[in-house]
Amino acid sequence: MNRAFPLGIALLAVAVYCGLIVTAGEQYLHADLSLGIPSGVRTLIAFLAGLAAVSIFLGGDDLSDSSKPKILLGIGVAFILAGSYFGLFVAPPEQFMGETQRIMYVHVPTAWSALLAMTIAFVCAVVFLFRTDFKWDARMEGSIETGVVFAFLLCCQGAIWAKPTWGVWWDWDPRLTTTAVLLFAFLGILALRKFVDDPVKRGIWSAVATIIAFVDVPIVYFSVKWWNSLHQQQSSPDTVSKPFWIPLRANAFGILLLMTAFIMLRARISALRLEHELAPPPLETVGEPA
Amino acid sequence: MTQGTITGGWSFVVAAYSVTTAVFLIYGISLIWRLRYEQRRSQ
Repeated sequence: MNRAFPLGIALLAVAVYCGLIVTAGEQYLHADLSLGIPSGVRTLIAFLAGLAAVSIFLGGDDLSDSSKPKILLGIGVAFILAGSYFGLFVAPPEQFMGETQRIMYVHVPTAWSALLAMTIAFVCAVVFLFRTDFKWDARMEGSIETGVVFAFLLCCQGAIWAKPTWGVWWDWDPRLTTTAVLLFAFLGILALRKFVDDPVKRGIWSAVATIIAFVDVPIVYFSVKWWNSLHQQQSSPDTVSKPFWIPLRANAFGILLLMTAFIMLRARISALRLEHELAPPPLETVGEPA
Repeated sequence: MTQGTITGGWSFVVAAYSVTTAVFLIYGISLIWRLRYEQRRSQ
């Protein structure tokens, strides 16, 4: 388990190399750093290695040492600063959306991370129900709260983007509606956890509620494909121009690391609270009997 | 088919990045503050 963090960092380095460094080399240094790996395969490696790194960071986390999430927080902030610099000052405006398109460099990675946080909550809920280990309950609470914060931010960014593009701050389009349902469903689970005092009942009930609420995650993702609505469909590397890749991918790595660090920190808070809840009450000073 | 480019828009870009920074900053600080509080309480 002690090797989990360095292994996660190594996988993250692979993901960053395949997803970001090779593209930056092509665009700004005119150097071929691809090692002969085709672009599509590199994107797939970056995606899988990034996911594996997050799984190792969270799964191998012993909830005792607070330095690891702070390291991830630092690396994430560095990626976001670099990505935002490229997104705001280097990347050209988009042909139709103009400068407004720059919002995509934070909106899209926030969406990915929000859905991923809720998927992690689902996995933690399933593992908790099978193992009844409160470490997974702490991780579940951490991922639910982080997912709610990211989903709230997603709705704010989306509204700011929608006003100049669609002419309205909000529209009851399927993508927006299912995202709002997701936000309030997970917010409800956090509220449920506040109202239940027994840790075992709280863990089991919220795990079951998380599994039910997770049904909305694939609906959010596929909503733009199932219903031809106002919100545009997902882009792919083939449909996004190369000058937009660097800020989008740098911010994606940055926000992914921020999400991971937030879940790890929040899980520590939950674990400490539970420890305090289960601790025996302090002995009271009792006077001598008369 | 609608055509044309959205002009302006920088104010919306600044607003979106500001909201993002504010949310990450406030949530990150709240986590560190709450963690320190729980660590003090458990000692």
